[in-house]
Amino acid sequence: MTPERWQRVEEILQAALDCPVPQRSELLAQVCAGDAELHRETTLLLEAHDGAGEFLEQSALELDADVLICDANERLTGSRIGHYEIVERLGSGGMGEVFLARDERLERLVALKILPSYFVSDAERMRRFQTEARAASALNHANILTVYEVGESEDTHFIATEYIDGQTIRELIGNDKLTLGETLDIISQLLNGLSAAHAAGIVHRDVKPDNIMRRKDGTAKILDFGIAKLVEDSASELSTLTSRTTSRTELGAVLGTIGYISPEQARGLAVDERTDVWSVGVLLYEILAGRRPFSGATNADTIVSILERTPAPIFASEVRVRALAKLQQIVSKALSKDVGRRYQSAADMLADVAEVKREVAAGSNRSRYGVAAETPVADARELTGRISPLGSAFPIAVIALLAICITAGVILYRRNARQLAVEAPLPTTYAQMNDAQRLRFISEQEQHVASMMGERPVKLNDEALRAIKTVVEGYVAPPKPNAPTLNEIYSRAPPYIPLIAKEFNARRIPIIVGIYLPMIESAYTPCYENEAGAKGLFQFMPSTAEHYGVARADMCDVNKMAPAAAHYIADRMAELGDDSQSMTLVLLSYNRGANSVLDSLRMLRETDANYERNFWTLFANRDKLDHSFRNESAYYVPAFFAAAIIGENPKAFGLNMPPLSSQVRNGER
Amino acid sequence: MMAVATESELTNLLDDWKHGDPSALEKLTPLIYDELRRIAHRYARRERNGHTLQTTALINEAYVRLAGNDSPDWQNRQHFFAVTAQVMRHILIDHARRRRALKHGGDGQQVSLSEAEAMSNERAAELIALDDALEELATFDSRKSRVVQLRYFGGLSLEETAAALDVSLMTVRRDWRAAKAWLYKAVNREW
Repeated sequence: MTPERWQRVEEILQAALDCPVPQRSELLAQVCAGDAELHRETTLLLEAHDGAGEFLEQSALELDADVLICDANERLTGSRIGHYEIVERLGSGGMGEVFLARDERLERLVALKILPSYFVSDAERMRRFQTEARAASALNHANILTVYEVGESEDTHFIATEYIDGQTIRELIGNDKLTLGETLDIISQLLNGLSAAHAAGIVHRDVKPDNIMRRKDGTAKILDFGIAKLVEDSASELSTLTSRTTSRTELGAVLGTIGYISPEQARGLAVDERTDVWSVGVLLYEILAGRRPFSGATNADTIVSILERTPAPIFASEVRVRALAKLQQIVSKALSKDVGRRYQSAADMLADVAEVKREVAAGSNRSRYGVAAETPVADARELTGRISPLGSAFPIAVIALLAICITAGVILYRRNARQLAVEAPLPTTYAQMNDAQRLRFISEQEQHVASMMGERPVKLNDEALRAIKTVVEGYVAPPKPNAPTLNEIYSRAPPYIPLIAKEFNARRIPIIVGIYLPMIESAYTPCYENEAGAKGLFQFMPSTAEHYGVARADMCDVNKMAPAAAHYIADRMAELGDDSQSMTLVLLSYNRGANSVLDSLRMLRETDANYERNFWTLFANRDKLDHSFRNESAYYVPAFFAAAIIGENPKAFGLNMPPLSSQVRNGER
Repeated sequence: MMAVATESELTNLLDDWKHGDPSALEKLTPLIYDELRRIAHRYARRERNGHTLQTTALINEAYVRLAGNDSPDWQNRQHFFAVTAQVMRHILIDHARRRRALKHGGDGQQVSLSEAEAMSNERAAELIALDDALEELATFDSRKSRVVQLRYFGGLSLEETAAALDVSLMTVRRDWRAAKAWLYKAVNREW
């Protein structure tokens, strides 16, 4: 094709694409009159355009990531660096690739880490690094990886260390295989190794799950002493060279994962052993809660979270409530932003962890605590109902047992609940309650539902409670003629609950969200098609549905829509970053999209940096937000709570059924 | 191993490359290759961590790592993106062609397992067809060919692509849809 010919073809193609679909063929016929070849060419291109779908939409970098990885393996495998022969690639970290290699002189296997040259260009810096790496290694501690050699061969800098046949803690967390007993064991070993290093004046600075390995015999090993220092030095040197200040974000990018750095590291202040204590606290929280305490959509957001936020509590579980209460205290102390209030040494923290470890071990001899030490933490989360938005879903089979958990959770973490507990009991049914009692009931039940969603504890003000109450009363008002009764509406839900539970659990979204979202969307009525798509249990615009793999014609198929809805919510959680820890905001994003939620929060942040990051803050400030929020979205989340409060308290509302959430059975989780 | 990447050195290399010095690309390639591999590993880990990664953000991060955060020469960033896309295309097409040669028993060598896992025969064929079609597109509309290279091989968003080519977002949108249609037709013609 000549450029001139293409210019003509493209002109017509673009014009046709700008036209509404029905008028396109007419346009082509007119413009191409007398030029059959041009007509054919443009028609085929239009067809190609319509048929192209996802063609080229996902970048090759993403599609073919494996090629880059494998290519690198092929390049180095079998090659020689100094007296080491590369056997295979083991993995990669923030600081370069790690290979399994054979030391030909000593006839042993080693792990060989190859350092990118831009970190090691300075001889003096390398020397300091070697000193520190060797010093840690010289401690000869069972929990510290032994460094054999820090060397250089033909411009390649490498570190040869003992080879650990095992997995990193990152891998173990990813598989959700760690039991509480194992977790405490690893943390104890980690603190042991660190306190030996600290005693010798060495701070690790980059404690994170990727830097700790567990050998097959259970021994935990801390890797990479000195590396973080090297990175910090090279980053600050780079910045001196170019007269810029190195941002912490940049450092985080270099280190790989920023979520574990301490506030003082984030500020660029001097660090000491208490920085390592902080990172151990982050790690312990992550294993227990199944999510990181500090996260954000970007590194900068994560840093804000580290500097300013208190992590959401780890939820109590009934079987291990005593252990968890203590662990929660340990984590809180390790994550004290003020270094003076933190554990002053790894040894101090170890003493407290060891105590819980003993209790758990002793407890596991008694059947009541049997679950605690041997059940994988992840399973225990489900079994015992310690839920979190990013963690696992709510365990509904054990709802009766859970009463204990919730009581304990409320006493431990919800100060307001203490006051409520001493008040006079409420009447059994909602109908018998007066206005003040209804508000109190709604307040208590809001806390209950929020805890099932993994929400941080907040006390709603009267206005917010009244918003929920208004919706509740709309539900319980006598039905209009021919309209279904409340009992009929709620009886529609149970057949769908196993499916919803399965799909939401698979995406680690609290099941309660999946159960009551359809209540606000369609009250579980049979699905019907309308011009905007379809109105069923879960609803999407047709384009969104298509994006989530549901064709227009299948939008009434709940077997397709339920997984798509869970997928959609999981994506919004990812987009919301740190705010994804508030399920109320995630719910709102189902109604408004994540961007709009983020925009609204951003606007509030400008007026009040200390606002509570949840829906209710937006609700309280709805006058400042746009019209569509005030009129529609402001009542979306209250409607969810109203639906859930009724469904979880069937007796109080005269419903002839158990709580909906109790209808998820073990096998369905 | 690779050259030392201080900001000024990266700037010089990008400058040389821009002025058509072929050895500059040779020196840039290992630097960029390392960054691409790092990105690839993050993709590989992504499933496990449940994080969403945006390629554009990763590429930007790679630039920051090599050049420093607020590099004064904004133009450099655009050149860096362009080189990255080109390097990525070379790596993949080389791999795909090698894969095809092996499949046809060209040198009697067995395809190693990891290599076979990394790219399917279909994917190799698709990439080669796309590469040929892009070459052809470049002969009569080089800007569209570059748009596709930046978007598809460089992982850039429409906005970044517009900035890299110094054209409007609207132009990139229109280029992208027309190029996609033409390429889709061309690629399918070959099958």
